[in-house]
Amino acid sequence: MFDPRQLLWLCLSFAALPAAHAIDGAQILQKVDRNLEPETYESYRQLTDIQPDGTKKVSVLYTMKKGRDKVVALFLAPASDKGRVTLRLGDNMWLYIPDVGRSIRITSLQSVTGSVFNNADILRIDYTAEYDVEAADEQKDAYLLSLKAKSGEVAYDKLKMWVDKQALLPLTIECYAASGLLIKTLRFRDVKDFGGGIKRPATLETDSPLQKGYKSIMQWSGLKKRDFRDEIFTLNYLPRIEELRK
Amino acid sequence: MSPPARARVWPLVLLLAAAGVNAQEEPAFDASAFEKKPFELGGYVQLKQEHSSLDRSAAFYKLGFFNQPQRETLDRITGTLQLAGKLRHGIGTFDFRTNSDVRRDQLARDDHSSIFEAAYSIRPNPGLTFEAGKRALKWGKGYAWNPIGFVERPKDANDPQVAREGFVMANADWISSPGGDLQTIAFTPVLLPVGSDVNRDFGERGHLNPAAKLYLLYRDTDLDFAWQGEGSRPERFGMDFSRNLASNLEIHGEWARIRQFTRPVTNPAGAVTNETGDATSYLIGARYLTAADTTYIAEYYRNGTGYSDQEARQFYELVDTAFATGNAALTQKAISLSQGGYGRPNPGKEYLYFRAQQKDALGLVYFAPALTVMMNLQDRSYQLTPELQYTGFNNLELRARLFLLHGGSGTDFGEKQVSRKLELYARYYF
Repeated sequence: MFDPRQLLWLCLSFAALPAAHAIDGAQILQKVDRNLEPETYESYRQLTDIQPDGTKKVSVLYTMKKGRDKVVALFLAPASDKGRVTLRLGDNMWLYIPDVGRSIRITSLQSVTGSVFNNADILRIDYTAEYDVEAADEQKDAYLLSLKAKSGEVAYDKLKMWVDKQALLPLTIECYAASGLLIKTLRFRDVKDFGGGIKRPATLETDSPLQKGYKSIMQWSGLKKRDFRDEIFTLNYLPRIEELRK
Repeated sequence: MSPPARARVWPLVLLLAAAGVNAQEEPAFDASAFEKKPFELGGYVQLKQEHSSLDRSAAFYKLGFFNQPQRETLDRITGTLQLAGKLRHGIGTFDFRTNSDVRRDQLARDDHSSIFEAAYSIRPNPGLTFEAGKRALKWGKGYAWNPIGFVERPKDANDPQVAREGFVMANADWISSPGGDLQTIAFTPVLLPVGSDVNRDFGERGHLNPAAKLYLLYRDTDLDFAWQGEGSRPERFGMDFSRNLASNLEIHGEWARIRQFTRPVTNPAGAVTNETGDATSYLIGARYLTAADTTYIAEYYRNGTGYSDQEARQFYELVDTAFATGNAALTQKAISLSQGGYGRPNPGKEYLYFRAQQKDALGLVYFAPALTVMMNLQDRSYQLTPELQYTGFNNLELRARLFLLHGGSGTDFGEKQVSRKLELYARYYF
């Protein structure tokens, strides 16, 4: 015999289904990392810094990354920066200047290019290496991940990351200081097929309420998987990094 | 537009991108224009104008202008061309850096060219490199001074970032990344010959000088252990370290000992004694970046081969006596001593270096004013250097510096040839 209470329980069970499918923010973030870049790759990037009067300064970098937290970037242009190399191993960052002939430690919040992008943006390692997911919310077309830095060494204390639900690629990231101050906003666009199964935004644009009127754009080209030996990601190797380019 | 709202228009963005509707966006970036070439050439041209106020009562003015027309000021213009290039073939690379100066002032016009570096290197694998030729190795972590810079020409604390001439040598570089706490280990052995036509200014001729450096990255700390064997110069060894205490605070240090180092020490009468003993130098420093993008660099340097306040004062008294009495022998002795340790840019025992540089000052991106102070801590004389730098034009660097030297009679900065100097330069990279 039909019992109305059974129907009520059935309805309540269906209502509770989304809870059973709670969003796994950590898993989404892992996928974002891998969808953005293979774990080990090389790429070329162009950084365009635009001043309020429209003046532009363009830098070109050759970048290599290995594992979750080893990145090296060589400046190919402009001529005044050519041969400079930045290296990141986890929280440690160095800058090698050919004229100076040795490497100095630099910090994540500085910018070697004088850009709105700082060194942490230019030498970005996996988000999962630096951040824990504090909360994950589902919105109409995107997931909103609230990320908290794993340590005080990380450039931004908190991130709000909107992730495209279909592509699992970041759309927008807001970067906050520990005080809650919005430091900058990163906007990804122009999804492009780089080949080798890599399909990701080719352009990243940023501006900052702290640098009103200034804008910086990062564009990718030649992003592909390539394996490197660990010895390349060392201070002694920095003067010879260019020889690895093909 | 809020981020969620932007998220909603994502498909539209994709569609527009696919349709190539990006008129107001940056043109697509194509890396093919940056392919590696078998031969590369670059460098810079620089024009530097200096106006110096000379201190006619200072010891180094008297020595420098001995038997020359006396002057109150000196204007000098220097044109520099620095070329750097690479030639690649297989696993080998030949690279070079040359420097040519043309200088003109009221006293002379001269030009000078030198090869700063020219070396051929081969890399059988990424962890191993062999190199031979002229190379400027830079050892140490100090910004203004490097006590463990055993196989390099001395750094100019007024221009620590400028390229320097190297020495002819053969060296190798072995790198390993074991992982764990010891993230990197690298070993650099060096052989540096000194003969009648090679590396003559390194030291005594007829030696093949061995040197080596061991680098470790251990638990986020850079560590170097350096050694140079006895040969053209006395044996020396030392170490350095560098690490971040916070993301915006770095500390570094160097320590070096030179075995049986000989220093000529004069008394006011010109009697020179050669004092021999172990000389220990060290440096401790920090670099701090504020939230407002001001970088502070501070270093304390103890120069074990330097002269104490009292020793230096005796040399200055010798110069005064020589020129006051017109004694030719004493004058020649003073000139000879000034070409050695007494005449080094920083001949004292203890120095403090402090530099503050503000990035993007006055709301102007690429405008970086700075203030540098260098002080001899024993005689309290100092040099103050305000500086303006602008790098906003593509490949052009503009810099203006004013050197203000303060110190009484018988002090380090009080006895330098120049009491004030204005320096302006424009450097164009190509």
